[in-house]
Amino acid sequence: MNKEIAKEIEERFSQKGYNIPISEIESRLDKLLNEFKVPQEEARRSVVNYFLKEYNIPRGDFFVQQGETPTVKVSDITSDGNWINISAKVVQLWDDTHESIDQAGLMGDETGTIKFNKWAKAELPALEEGKTYLFKNVVTDSYQERLQINFNRTSQIEEITEDIEVNTQQAEAPTVKVSEITTEGKWINISVKVAQLWDSTHESIDQAGLMGDETGTIKFIKWAKAELPSLVEGKSYLLKNVVTDSFQERFQINFNRTSLIEEITEDIEIGTLTVEFSGAMVDIQSGSGLIKRCPECNRALIKGVCGEHGKVEGSYDLRIKAVMDDGVCVQDSLLNREISEQLTGITLDEAKQMATEALDQSVVLEMFKEKLLGKYYLVKGPKLDRSILVEDISLLPPLELDQIDTIIAQMEV
Amino acid sequence: MAGQYTREVAYRIFAQEFRDSNLSFKDSNDQYSPQYLLTPTGAKVNRMLIVGTLTEKEDIGNEAEYWRARVVDPTGAFLIYAGQYQPEAAQVMANIEAPQYLAVVGKPSTFQTEDGTILTSVRPESIHIVDAQTRDRWVVETTQRTLERVKDLNSDNPDAVRAKEHYNTDSSVYRQMALAALESLNTE
Ligand SMILES: [Zn+2]
Repeated sequence: MNKEIAKEIEERFSQKGYNIPISEIESRLDKLLNEFKVPQEEARRSVVNYFLKEYNIPRGDFFVQQGETPTVKVSDITSDGNWINISAKVVQLWDDTHESIDQAGLMGDETGTIKFNKWAKAELPALEEGKTYLFKNVVTDSYQERLQINFNRTSQIEEITEDIEVNTQQAEAPTVKVSEITTEGKWINISVKVAQLWDSTHESIDQAGLMGDETGTIKFIKWAKAELPSLVEGKSYLLKNVVTDSFQERFQINFNRTSLIEEITEDIEIGTLTVEFSGAMVDIQSGSGLIKRCPECNRALIKGVCGEHGKVEGSYDLRIKAVMDDGVCVQDSLLNREISEQLTGITLDEAKQMATEALDQSVVLEMFKEKLLGKYYLVKGPKLDRSILVEDISLLPPLELDQIDTIIAQMEV
Repeated sequence: MAGQYTREVAYRIFAQEFRDSNLSFKDSNDQYSPQYLLTPTGAKVNRMLIVGTLTEKEDIGNEAEYWRARVVDPTGAFLIYAGQYQPEAAQVMANIEAPQYLAVVGKPSTFQTEDGTILTSVRPESIHIVDAQTRDRWVVETTQRTLERVKDLNSDNPDAVRAKEHYNTDSSVYRQMALAALESLNTE
């Protein structure tokens, strides 16, 4: 792969009259790709820019031509406004009524199909159904939230003899259930109910949360730039053209510009409404540790007083109101006595004894903070209002070296 | 949920980016409105989580204890100051010895020197001893968060726009910093 890219870069320079030893290009590329784990496109760009600078080549000299236009597959087309070259077969020609459009239809390659528009004023040769062409300098566009390809005056069309097997299945995304989501990068349609919307502080995210069907729940992210209507907690939707993704070893659903959201009247029942959150425990709130509860209503007492029943003789309990934080979201998590005991290794009886010896109930909370804060945990449990009622909490296991490589690779995408 | 108190997220920032930051501001003139530090990749930070190695500590106070500590990550060092207004943190500081892995939750703070240079430091809310695996997690996570912000720099997110305007951010610098930090885990 490196050699191919290096060769391509070398050829582009030599077309412009600059001869750069391919070994230099290769070693630079190799360093970026392998040593610094720079993504391929960035590496290519970086190498080109490096040699432009090194050989004092004016940028204008180099980029004037269409050499810069990338050659892509249908599935690579994920945003509008990009100039591309593409080899594709014309699958369908549509009868078009609009005078400004010369031809329109569907074209495709082995990765999928896409709509195209050939403007009349582009004055390009007529396309025939079933024939394969190399389209140069065409532009990606989106219309009614669907991506398409437009041909214009600077576009070139060359018929090629190579026959392309078109994958038409991707034209319509399959309809799946949550539990069937087992790979990333799949375009799907899915009917779900929004179980939770999370507070996100990241402004590039419009909405994030949890949605589910009778088979389970899954995290979703709706990017602000997708410009989609807002989802409402508790409502059910048919989502079309959303993409599966995985993040930190868990699957999620991403919405993008081509996604469609339709509210449906059917009330989808969510199978298991268990939430997961992993992050660092950054704080334990007051009212944690050894506490007393009202015998009447079970509320936690504040200085021996119940908000409802006044001063009462309380009974001891343990709990932890943990603040989890992954650097994007803050998640309150409530650990009951059982879970608190398991996590800290301190039982209620031991906690009572500690407090008695110290003549101070707060020693328990201090000890919990010392043991737990600053570490990374995965918590699971149903979410009530803003808190996860933790049913399971575990320290995140140590990272393995090969995991780090995987993470690096994922982050470069 | 409107009006409900929302806790500020603890941002993950590498030392190099934190050191490069110099734009602090409030969203309103209200004296209780939170102070933010905007970093070159557009993190609008009121709280941060640092996990690194304590390499030095010194009591630079006169009458009362005033601790200055260096906590180091793969890209450089954070300066941490803890005095009488950070009693829990100061107490931890007094009782530990370098080197030690620490998790520090704190607020960013800036200080302008006589020659006009702006120095950043952290006022800790809490300091806890952690282990190497927690540090590794933090490096991975901070790389992720940094790369997310770098990616977001080209969006119309107002923090990103402002950061680019103020710092003229060369995103490749922070991208490479983050990736190099992650790489450093492999060679240890
Ligand atoms: Zn009561």
